[in-house]
Amino acid sequence: MADIKLDHKFDAARNRHYLNDQLSVLHCHHYATLFTQLALDAKDLVDGTGILKEAAEDVFYGVLTNYYQKNSVSDAQEKIKVAIEMFSAFGMGKMSVSGDAGGGEVKLPHAYVDEGWLKKWGKFKAPVNFIGAGYIAGMFAAAYDKPSKTYKVEETQSRVTGAAESVFKVSA
Amino acid sequence: MAIDRKKVIDEMSKVSVEANEDGLIPAFNVMVNQWPANFWNEFSRRLVEAVDEDIKGDVEDLLGNAAHECGYHTGYGIITSLEWESIVGPMVENKEDVLHGAFAVFTAWGWADAEVVELIPGEKMVVRAKDYYEADVKENLPGKKSKRLFAHMISGVCAAFMDLAYGGDYSPDGETGLYTFRCKQTKGIECGDEYGEFVVLKSEEYE
Repeated sequence: MADIKLDHKFDAARNRHYLNDQLSVLHCHHYATLFTQLALDAKDLVDGTGILKEAAEDVFYGVLTNYYQKNSVSDAQEKIKVAIEMFSAFGMGKMSVSGDAGGGEVKLPHAYVDEGWLKKWGKFKAPVNFIGAGYIAGMFAAAYDKPSKTYKVEETQSRVTGAAESVFKVSA
Repeated sequence: MAIDRKKVIDEMSKVSVEANEDGLIPAFNVMVNQWPANFWNEFSRRLVEAVDEDIKGDVEDLLGNAAHECGYHTGYGIITSLEWESIVGPMVENKEDVLHGAFAVFTAWGWADAEVVELIPGEKMVVRAKDYYEADVKENLPGKKSKRLFAHMISGVCAAFMDLAYGGDYSPDGETGLYTFRCKQTKGIECGDEYGEFVVLKSEEYE
């Protein structure tokens, strides 16, 4: 396991919290799952789930890239280990990753969005972890020094549909 | 007012959360995440920008509803927590103190530097925020200024806190108690105003 640095600071002048120099905020599973539901409901108007996934991908790509630069993490596998630890530190769940620059597979025995969805609404007919998919896409791109949106991530198995763990296929 | 806002902010800003072995953060009666504030802003901004002009308001209302439910459940978790009981509890004499205390915690947790400036118990509340992360959305907009008020999270949470104070007993499933109040943002730093302003009224009086 990578030993990641988590530097939390509170700016008392502006009452703002920073985690590794990134403005950070606590929110709950109601907020995350309602954002997800809103993204799904918007399907007839706009690609809401795509927007949710890309927002997560772009933001977490930036967070991870910034961390690697500041802490001189250059090896791809080490970057993946850091990203796995960061995923948990953010409260997003637990993941295992296999693959290389060409793509791979990610398994989530515990996923924040899914746990929140199950807690709030119970099972659903289709995968809902678009935020997690975005993180994974950003993680692969950051690990292999590619630009954001290089990787396609599809959730092929989901905790909210009744699977024991969520599975994501990653392709370049 | 019995609430020592500075003391509450000083103490509650030190409360930290840590993920368990499953990478999850159960706390305050909900599951918490600690993500970059920019993620919430970016999804909201991109979604509102993507939809047609005539439904932007509806989408913004739904973003506010997400925060309303979040604020209702997390707010209840906060005011029934051990941290609240030990830090804020001794200062609380009435429902109004709970509201002032809740906004001090709201500030301490970095949602917004927000304070109640007018309160008619059970009827109306006006909140002002002199800094909040949602205003940062202007940084990604032309001229660093938003044409639309953007603090949907604060709006939702303001209404939720009035629900908790005056909407009856807490309802875990939100069937009762939730949405008894509504909030309208009237000013925003993101639009060039000096501060954000939020007016909360009973739902039946909300336009």
